[in-house]
Amino acid sequence: MIKAVPPALIFILGAMLIPLLKGKLKQVYILVVPAVAFLDILYLSPGTSWVYNFLGYDLIFCKVDRLSLVVGYIFVIIGFLAILYCLHIKHDGQYIAAFLYVGSSLGVVFAGDYFSLFVFWEIMAVASVFLIWFQKDKKSLNAGFRYILMHIFGGCCLLAGIIIYTVSKGSINVALLEPSPAYWLILIGFGLNTAFIPIHTWLPDAYPEGTITGSVFLSVFTTKTGVYVLARCFPGVELVAYMGGIMAVYGVTFALLQNDARRLLAYHIISQVGYMVAGVGMGTAQGINGGIAHVFNNILYKALLFMCMGSVMYMTGRRKLSEMGGLARFMPVTCIACIIAALSISGAPGFNGFVSKGMVIASAVEAHMPILELMLILASVGTFLSFVKLCYFCFFAKNYEIESKEAPFNMQLAMGLTAFSCVFIGLYPKILFDILPYNVVGYHPFTPSHIFGVIQLFMLAGVAFILAKAMVVPHKATILDFDYFYRMGGRGLLWVCSVPMSNFRTKSQVRLSRAVYIIARLARNPISILEIPTAYIYLRITKGLRYVGGFSSGETYDENLYRRPIGVGVLLAIILLFAFALIYFIF
Amino acid sequence: MEKMLKRLFIILAVLCIPVGFFIEHEHAIFFWHKIPSIEAIFGILGTFLLILAIGILTSFAQKKEDFYD
Repeated sequence: MIKAVPPALIFILGAMLIPLLKGKLKQVYILVVPAVAFLDILYLSPGTSWVYNFLGYDLIFCKVDRLSLVVGYIFVIIGFLAILYCLHIKHDGQYIAAFLYVGSSLGVVFAGDYFSLFVFWEIMAVASVFLIWFQKDKKSLNAGFRYILMHIFGGCCLLAGIIIYTVSKGSINVALLEPSPAYWLILIGFGLNTAFIPIHTWLPDAYPEGTITGSVFLSVFTTKTGVYVLARCFPGVELVAYMGGIMAVYGVTFALLQNDARRLLAYHIISQVGYMVAGVGMGTAQGINGGIAHVFNNILYKALLFMCMGSVMYMTGRRKLSEMGGLARFMPVTCIACIIAALSISGAPGFNGFVSKGMVIASAVEAHMPILELMLILASVGTFLSFVKLCYFCFFAKNYEIESKEAPFNMQLAMGLTAFSCVFIGLYPKILFDILPYNVVGYHPFTPSHIFGVIQLFMLAGVAFILAKAMVVPHKATILDFDYFYRMGGRGLLWVCSVPMSNFRTKSQVRLSRAVYIIARLARNPISILEIPTAYIYLRITKGLRYVGGFSSGETYDENLYRRPIGVGVLLAIILLFAFALIYFIF
Repeated sequence: MEKMLKRLFIILAVLCIPVGFFIEHEHAIFFWHKIPSIEAIFGILGTFLLILAIGILTSFAQKKEDFYD
């Protein structure tokens, strides 16, 4: 019998073959890979396998339990649907980045030790940034750099935490953590990917700048692996639960103010991830079930929303709600899919969001967290309002200037299948309940008070929306978020480096050059020491000495003057590592 | 037509409120679970709270579109 392999391996090795294939064969191949990965996950047996000893520690590439399986299933399913959605593109780089991104996310999910988790975590960050950079404009380039800088910071915190944990515990196995310096560092590392406030700014900054197809992948993997690792290492942490509530409310508030359709969706990722984080933070069986069920459902409807807005962008070239309107006539399939996704994310009865959102809110009640329950209800109201806004201004508002066609068939098919999944799980949630980490006991989504409560909430919020519509009309503006402080801090740091520090360096260099000049002169002719004061005064007058060595203390910093090829940096890093290894092995 | 739909929606929403008096919360734990049609109140209050938050936020955090450029 063939032994199941780590699903990450299928995607990562699968990416290597993409450049070798062409035409229809390539299209078939990239659809077959996720299908094979899905079959592989079905064959994974619970427990740990693919264990390798490295420097005295066990690296576990396949830790299989109910939690990793449910997340693994949905990652592969959405991987298939997202690849179907981008089947029309001809750019190999995007496929390779997407495959590496999906593969490394699966690597994190099935990692049984912190070292391999960290390696996959970093591959995920590097692969995903290319899905932003492949948009190939200045905005995406800059947003990509900000994205990777934030993730490098998170990665450094995570690595530091892992090292401290390993040294203090003597084990690298992924396990529940107890408060210690390692605990906080790992929490920051995980929290950054999960978009904890205020280290969430990379998300609404970078996701709207990704490629049309790349943003579909981006909306799924980074934040959801964050929730998964929180469920594994930080369940039942009250701080995490309340952070979830804050994220839920914060995300919708900012989403309501956005004009860029994909930025609105990006803020909703923060809000929806807030529900998951809250569920995980409560730590009860129902809370974790609710959080993970919401991961599963959210992946479907959030990817669907990014697919719909991507289709609109692809067909019309517009991304701002103030420039859209009336597209329901031209893009009926996209419009229906978007409405299904909007109803799902809002938690309307009969759609998948209703099932999992209800479970998270019910678990807040069960865990006796009244404030958290109210925060999550408030976020529900905001979610409904912002999707009324999105659908109305995109598809139904009057706009006689716009004309379009429906998206390509593969995009429509992907949207149709994803929309079907949202409705299917909404009507038949047992299929989801059966694969959740804990057995679902005592939770029934379709009770009269739950169904009618949600209808009442939406109807009255809708009335309030009609009365106060003018407040949420999209308008052209930037709403400052916490990234204002990071950007200003970054500019300040750049100024410190390029003005005072650069001046100090130049002045030191000038002084050193003067000293060398004088010593060289003395060496040639020691008797000339007597002439130095005269020469110095003369040169000061003619300002000749100020340019000794070709440097002037008044020069402004020119970054290109000191720029070296990246290989020099890599070489220095290798030399440093080699020296470190040498010292380590000798002593 | 649009006005008609709006009116119909508002009438339906208002009719929802009395129906809530006949439906009880299955697991009433906090005091608000026992208030009939509490979700309707949450809907209205929540919307106004969010609109208030938006108003406050835009008063100091709203800048021109090319602010960072």
